Amino acid sequence: MMNSLPTHPSEALAAGADAASLPELSFRRAQAEQLGGAASVARHHEQGRLTIRERISGLVDEGSFQEVGKLTGQGHYDGDKLVGVTPAPYVMGLASIGNRPVSIGGEDFTVRGGTSWSGDRKKGGQGGFVEDLAHQYRLPLVNLIDGAGGSVTSINRRGHSVFPGVHGFERSVQLMGEVPVVCAVLGTAAGGPAGRAILSHWSVMVKNTSQVFAAGPPVVERSLGQKVTKEELGGPGIAVDMAGTIDNVATDEKHCFELIRRYLSYMPQNVWELPPVVQSGDRVDRCEDALARIVPESRRKPYDMKKLVRMVADQDSVFEIQPSFGKAVITCLARMNGKVVGVIANNPMIYGGAIDVRAARKQTHFVELCDCFHIPLIFFVDVPGFMVGKDAEAAATLREGMRSVYVGLQATVPIYTVVIRKCYGMAGMGTTDKNGLDLKIAWPSAEWGSLPIEGGVAAAFRKDIANAADPKSREREIEAELRALASPYRTAEAFGVEEIIDPRETRPYLCRFIDAAQGRLQTTLGQKPKFGVRP
Amino acid sequence: MSKIEAKAEVTGSVWKILAVVGSRLEAGDTIMILESMKMEIPVMAEDGGTLLALSVAEGEAVREGQVVAVLED
Repeated sequence: MMNSLPTHPSEALAAGADAASLPELSFRRAQAEQLGGAASVARHHEQGRLTIRERISGLVDEGSFQEVGKLTGQGHYDGDKLVGVTPAPYVMGLASIGNRPVSIGGEDFTVRGGTSWSGDRKKGGQGGFVEDLAHQYRLPLVNLIDGAGGSVTSINRRGHSVFPGVHGFERSVQLMGEVPVVCAVLGTAAGGPAGRAILSHWSVMVKNTSQVFAAGPPVVERSLGQKVTKEELGGPGIAVDMAGTIDNVATDEKHCFELIRRYLSYMPQNVWELPPVVQSGDRVDRCEDALARIVPESRRKPYDMKKLVRMVADQDSVFEIQPSFGKAVITCLARMNGKVVGVIANNPMIYGGAIDVRAARKQTHFVELCDCFHIPLIFFVDVPGFMVGKDAEAAATLREGMRSVYVGLQATVPIYTVVIRKCYGMAGMGTTDKNGLDLKIAWPSAEWGSLPIEGGVAAAFRKDIANAADPKSREREIEAELRALASPYRTAEAFGVEEIIDPRETRPYLCRFIDAAQGRLQTTLGQKPKFGVRP
Repeated sequence: MSKIEAKAEVTGSVWKILAVVGSRLEAGDTIMILESMKMEIPVMAEDGGTLLALSVAEGEAVREGQVVAVLED
């Protein structure tokens, strides 16, 4: 009914029974609907950006927004007579997405650029009502970020400077272990709002109209003498593709809302519930013949791992997280027989699937996400190990790689290991379910060990090779001998791997076990305490 | 007519160049094959277009993100 309210004070006073009976309430509501005023809203629209009210109505289920705090703002009085209200630059409340309630809010950029506002209680941001609602009612939180955070002008207003984040950020941190937190960066975000975008389970920004950084171009120029545009500093090319600070990019705001709805469709309401199960309409026993041919005979040739994942998962259920960052691993939310799963697949197209520092970071976050929300993980493994080389060492690949292994080995959600081709070293170990059933299935193309044979022979048989009449040919001979012993069937004889399957059987095999794991998932809900120190 | 840059997604070396300058490529066609981490990594045309120029030769080292070819659609 909000939309039917008059938008001008004189109309408000003239309109209908509600206005007649409660003229002041109608007037104040109408003032809130005007946001920062027609001129400010027009400027905002000219930049290709929607207002916060348009954003909320574009994202949530139609008519589902129940605003909270609509009357907050700065009242303007002529003596005792109210003449207008400048709304607080934050709009929030309860809404539903996919017929499930969410707590949602965002800065109103048309009022003072969405900068912070001080009432008796905070509406949004860290520690605001919108976060309390998510925490108390255990609802997903959607932050629509379009603000630059604090301003030094507040010193003038208050007469003192504010100690950073006196209260509030602890709530933002607490939510990370309770409910899904989704942040969309919909303008230029710096400072607190930028920090909040990172304190999320998933974040998205919009091409051409949004940037995110710790501090913007004027601060950078003053501090370092560097002249950069805000797009160069914090557009998606940096923030998403290079830094992985934000997870996904949307082509426009409408697309952004579609992505948010999609992401939330895989999420439970909180850590005390399981994600929704849908009727998949895809046969559990669907066996794709193309799976039998997807891995090339030559071990040097890569293949399309994304295609492989799509053939195994429920049709059209694959939603890729961070598709342009750390591309040596592919992370997706997907469904198997209607149940949500997290997929981590090595990408042989990028460094043969070797885990570099970016891929390791991406994997760490994704494992934690799925573990937190009781989403079983499937690893499609083709990993030769951690990335090697001077650049990789300087980037701390070993530390970041071991962190991803550590987090994987702390996870208590069921993990399914499907070895497609290579499974080597610590990166390989990090794909297994050490706190659970430790079910490892493999394709006939699988191979494993502490390191790939061709890399290890020269070092392990140095003397043997050096003393041979033809060292090169001796090296190849040893490789061939070892490779014959490295058949996955020999490991299966020893039950060192639980099953070798026909690649076409991957989907039915996994669906069977994921269906069977539902009882365990339902009986191990709740928060997961984390002990120890990450390497 | 817009120019499209094809970039190396990995650091490595140019193993084989398959496409000929001046030829028409479709999306997904392989322009060249790089060698990295003992694997043959294809550089493919993201969109269809005419191959205008190659900026590397066989055997040459390439860095991740380096432009290796330019197409025009």
